Amino acid sequence: MNGVFEVNFAAFSIFVALLITEIMGAVVLLIAWPARGKVLDYLVPVWEVTGTFGAFWVVTGDFAYPTLLVPVASLFAPLLVVFVMLWVARSASISFAEFITKRGWLDEMKLYRAYALSTIVIGIVVLVLLSSLVGGQGVDLSTGSFSLASWATAGSMAFILGTLLLGVGFAPVFFDLPQLRGYVLPFAGAGVALSVLSYWLMSSALVTWWMSVPVVLTLLAGALYLWPRTVKVVTNKGVFLTVLSVIIFSLQFLVYPAAVGQALSIDAVTTAGAMADAFISMTLVGASLLAVMLLLYIRVAARGPSGPDFP
Amino acid sequence: MLSFVRFLFAFTIGSHILLVSTSIALVVLISVAEFISIRKHDKVYEALARRLAKVFVISFAVGTASGIVMAVELVSLFPTFMTLVASTGAIVLLYAEVSAFFLEVLALVLYVYYWNAFKGRYTHWILSLFMAAGTLGSAVFITMVNAWMNTPTGFDISAFISSGFKTISGVQPYAAFLTPSTADQVFHVLVTTIFAGSMVIGAYFAYWFIRSRDAEDRAMYSRALKILGAVAVITILVSGITGSREMGALLVNQPLKYAALDGNPVPGTNFPDRFFGSVVGNSYVGGFSIPGMQSLLAQVETGISQLPGLSQFPSSQWPPLFVNTTFNLMTIGGVALGVFFLVYFLALITKRRPYESRRILYLWIPAAVAAMVVYQLGWATDEVGRQPWIVYNVMTVAQAANTSDALLVPGIVIVAFYLLVIPATFYLYARVFRRKAETVAA
Repeated sequence: MNGVFEVNFAAFSIFVALLITEIMGAVVLLIAWPARGKVLDYLVPVWEVTGTFGAFWVVTGDFAYPTLLVPVASLFAPLLVVFVMLWVARSASISFAEFITKRGWLDEMKLYRAYALSTIVIGIVVLVLLSSLVGGQGVDLSTGSFSLASWATAGSMAFILGTLLLGVGFAPVFFDLPQLRGYVLPFAGAGVALSVLSYWLMSSALVTWWMSVPVVLTLLAGALYLWPRTVKVVTNKGVFLTVLSVIIFSLQFLVYPAAVGQALSIDAVTTAGAMADAFISMTLVGASLLAVMLLLYIRVAARGPSGPDFP
Repeated sequence: MLSFVRFLFAFTIGSHILLVSTSIALVVLISVAEFISIRKHDKVYEALARRLAKVFVISFAVGTASGIVMAVELVSLFPTFMTLVASTGAIVLLYAEVSAFFLEVLALVLYVYYWNAFKGRYTHWILSLFMAAGTLGSAVFITMVNAWMNTPTGFDISAFISSGFKTISGVQPYAAFLTPSTADQVFHVLVTTIFAGSMVIGAYFAYWFIRSRDAEDRAMYSRALKILGAVAVITILVSGITGSREMGALLVNQPLKYAALDGNPVPGTNFPDRFFGSVVGNSYVGGFSIPGMQSLLAQVETGISQLPGLSQFPSSQWPPLFVNTTFNLMTIGGVALGVFFLVYFLALITKRRPYESRRILYLWIPAAVAAMVVYQLGWATDEVGRQPWIVYNVMTVAQAANTSDALLVPGIVIVAFYLLVIPATFYLYARVFRRKAETVAA
């Protein structure tokens, strides 16, 4: 048990869960624009929280693994630059879209679609980073280099495709879009199968009995949407986000105790001593503040949106 | 490549500062406007707060994204520096900054998107205080990191240097919260940031107050200017005091930087304040000076009469000496802005309504440009004045930087991107504010 790792991975799980829900919304904006109402009701306040969790994960990562910063900077510099530019594009386009009035060729739909595209590509960039951190594809630790050509193995591609299929499969569940109900099981099932296959292709050692936890939870969430009595439960965004975060958190065995294709011991690179104590203490203080604000948010959000445009 | 790395980071942070200063001033203006609207039952102030809240959403969105660019740039451009940051108390400050972010974002979401969900108007207004606490908290913590770079503490510096940056020992994680320069720097940065941001936003209102013929619009612009004028009067006055204290702190903690900023070629007593000349050998040539002023201020702030000079330090450690000029421009610009707001204040107390005076408002617009230039010069002076060090007397920029050629193309793309995003953001601020979704009657 490595407390610093657990905190960092928990932050990562929540960030990725939020990002996945954004990607699901982005898919709907691209393929089913008329159904955007429910999607935007969720996305418009939440995309800012996703960004903050992203920043939180980056800073906890800096704090948790100080000796990894130099290798990470040299390994992933081009990917990181692409990531940050897409991030600015995503944030700018959605915030502009929220308040734009049609002027010439630029309108709300174009900006939301720009947001959707940049968010999906951000998701792919994050998945490329993750797959290389899990399986070590494309990473050469001895020279500190990353090659996209070497990364593009069958395992990596299956990882990306599997996750995107899961996103398409769960978009109707998360946003409660009955007209797209037929997508749920085929896409979620194919996504799960491809994801498990990708881990096996990356390293057979990754496929253990632990894998059954996220697999069962994922399929169950999809199946519950098809049963009328449980629709309300799985379409509850708080419940869904919590379950999704738990599923991602349960995947920690993919990178702990060793990551990058079992080549990097996490315990060996985690901060220790007084800094580890400070990390835990600061997390407790920050998490308490966050919990209070989230409780207030949930309480107020239950009353429905009523901002400046909702007199 | 090192010069490009310096330029890239300076450009990015300079752009980021534009967003941050307006964000901070916006949150102050929103909070005050809503408070007055509740106290006076004034619908115009309420409409002002509502419209500004939308602008703040954009400001937060682009500012946060830009902050993430900065975070990634820091790791990519200065990995050795960030390794030191991540292994010492400086990372605790960044962690605290992210907590402030959480406070800001959740308060912002509740404040903007659930405006009418609060029955008690003061309860809703309190959220603006949380928003402000988060926004200002972020600024305070990031300034604390900068103060730590100026006066590093909380680890065994000599062991770190002698080991060739391999051994980081004796770490005190919370020491970075209060370095010798923290308090003075934080206060000065905070008030000058609010001042610069208020001036920029005020320039927008001044311009539209002059142009508009719509009585309803003019009433709103005049109220915004009333608040911003008061904020500017207070902050420019406090900026003068905190700026003087900041120089006192430099004299004690960073004497070489002090000597470079004041253009002191040699140590001595009874020094004048020197302006717009240059250091040649052991003399300060050209420009003009105010006899005894430098020593007087130093005596008042610190009680020190023997002032440092560049000749006391190896020339290899001197910062570029043009910092004397940037410092001069900053102080003279600050004084000129102070005079402008002295006139404004006199007009205010004699009930001449300066926030509706066309003469004052015409002057406000160039004054806002000057305020932002002065503010940016302040940061430039602080950063260039610390050169060649990235962490004072510990690590140089050259030692910290990643000089890989692979950064060139992505760096140019980032510059181009900012050149597009910053004007687009300010354009949208204006468009969103001018859209009359929230009229007085709302």
